[in-house]
Amino acid sequence: MNEIPIFFLHGLAYAGLLFLVSAGLTLVFGMMNVLNFAHAAMYMLGAYFSYSIMLRFTGQLWLSLLVCPIILFVIGSLIERFLLRRVHAYGHVQELLLTFGLAYIITELVKWYWGNYPLAVNIGGFLGSTIQIFGMTYPVYRMFIFVCAVFVGAVMAFILYKTRLGIILRASVNDREMTNILGVNVPFVFIGVFGFGAALSGFAGVIAGPLLSTFPGMAQEILIDAFVVIVVGGFGSLGGAVVASFLIGELQSFGVLLFPNLSIALVYLLMAVVLITKPSGLFGEEQ
Amino acid sequence: MKQKHTPFIIIALFAAGAFVPAVLQKYYLNMLTEIIIFSLYAISYNLLLGYAGLLSFGHAMFFGLGAFITAVAIIHIPGLALWNAILIGVASTVISGFVFGSLLLRHKGAYFALLTLAFNALFYAVATKWHSVTGGDDGLSITRPDLNLWFTSISMGSLTHFYYLTLIVVGASITFCWYFTHTAMGRTVLLVRENEERMKFLGYNTNISRLILFTFTGALAGLAGSFYTLHFQFVSISAISIDMTTTVLLMTFVGGTKKFWGPILGAFVYILLQNYLSDITDRWPLFMGLIFVFMVLFIPGGLSEVITNTRQRFFGKKENNGSKVAGAEEITS
Repeated sequence: MNEIPIFFLHGLAYAGLLFLVSAGLTLVFGMMNVLNFAHAAMYMLGAYFSYSIMLRFTGQLWLSLLVCPIILFVIGSLIERFLLRRVHAYGHVQELLLTFGLAYIITELVKWYWGNYPLAVNIGGFLGSTIQIFGMTYPVYRMFIFVCAVFVGAVMAFILYKTRLGIILRASVNDREMTNILGVNVPFVFIGVFGFGAALSGFAGVIAGPLLSTFPGMAQEILIDAFVVIVVGGFGSLGGAVVASFLIGELQSFGVLLFPNLSIALVYLLMAVVLITKPSGLFGEEQ
Repeated sequence: MKQKHTPFIIIALFAAGAFVPAVLQKYYLNMLTEIIIFSLYAISYNLLLGYAGLLSFGHAMFFGLGAFITAVAIIHIPGLALWNAILIGVASTVISGFVFGSLLLRHKGAYFALLTLAFNALFYAVATKWHSVTGGDDGLSITRPDLNLWFTSISMGSLTHFYYLTLIVVGASITFCWYFTHTAMGRTVLLVRENEERMKFLGYNTNISRLILFTFTGALAGLAGSFYTLHFQFVSISAISIDMTTTVLLMTFVGGTKKFWGPILGAFVYILLQNYLSDITDRWPLFMGLIFVFMVLFIPGGLSEVITNTRQRFFGKKENNGSKVAGAEEITS
């Protein structure tokens, strides 16, 4: 079984991608109690913006990695400030419906502007090359994804647990009103968090572009997987997102290797088992 | 309120429906049949969203299941009667509604929405992969079996005949939904939404109420799906995809969740818009999406609310007399 290490690495790459998407989702959910259906649409926008940038500046992935999150941060902040806040008073159902409608519109706009077919992004240079590992050639890019995810995860953990900003964020999760009374501008923090979530998602999209193809259905595909990660890991838990991303990434990867026809069902099976045995998720707090 | 008049309105609608084939062209009759079927689908969705306050993103799994089971039954069981094909489709959704409902209803609010979406994706994935049964991307084509009544057999080949069958069966189901909302069970669901704690104190098992409602709406969606297959004589994986959930969500919300007849209006408007906009532009889903977000932001009550408000402004006072039971009268016929 020579393939096992290779499939393990494949799983790690996908787990990295899943973590990048679900980390933003779970952060926004934990902070604002909003389940953002448009999150994956941001991811798709990131991938498409990156495609357009790469079309003009061939091989300059770093440019996309820098520019796209900034654009999406702006888009995310605007959505929070001018749309989401408006419906906040009407309750959860309204918020969910809004983000769902936004995801729908973004998907249609993407189909309109970029077309309803897959686009390929080429990365040249070192990232596009392969290296020898475990006596086999392996694409550098997949390892790059994993490294990115670890880096982002480490930065997020550092900010959340070691800085003053992190204290404010965790306090807002815990008790929004009390934090507001203590002099923190919580609505402003929310704009930032939502924007950051969108930026993170866009970053993941840029990275996903060259690995998976860029097409209008990509949002829905990753959205379901990210939801499963959140359910399995526990709502609003960053540590849970790490573990669940790893589990699901590897499950998908080895699922394809071992049971090609059942690989999709395995992920749902895991979710069903977690739901029955521990409805709040592996690391979630009891509701 | 105005419940006294409702039975007469229903009878008038049935009577009008009976005369329609004499007047309408085939193209419009086709559209009307589709509207009736989707009305039931949207009403079953609104029983969840509007009455029980459960936002599901997975209603298409029941619609699609009913559609597929009916198609598969007709193909694989030769000489299957039309009633039995529909019955098998509905029975399968009752069972799956009960099983998945008991799993999904462990969560509420956003969690429930997320889980229903994920399970819809599972159904879709299975339908796509299980090519030998569902036909995968190619879909399944069927021929409508004839309808056997006690002593005679009516050919379902003609659209007019099928229209009458749809009008009677689906129309009766919609009427039953309306009746259901006035039964003790229907009221219980409404009150659980408003104040679950108090209902628990009063001795109601709220989980059971929700599960029964979920199964019931699943069965109704399955019936709509079954008729969808029979109407188009074709079913593809789009019937079980998340797009089909989006469709019902748009219909229900555009029509309005606060009135019983809102979803019917929504289905009517949606299918008309779909037919006319798709002639003008390929981008009609974008316009539907924009309308939807606009309504979420500015008219959360949907078109039915606009109509009710306009009627109140021009033809008299508000309908309630101030003795409103908290929220209980919010949804009326």
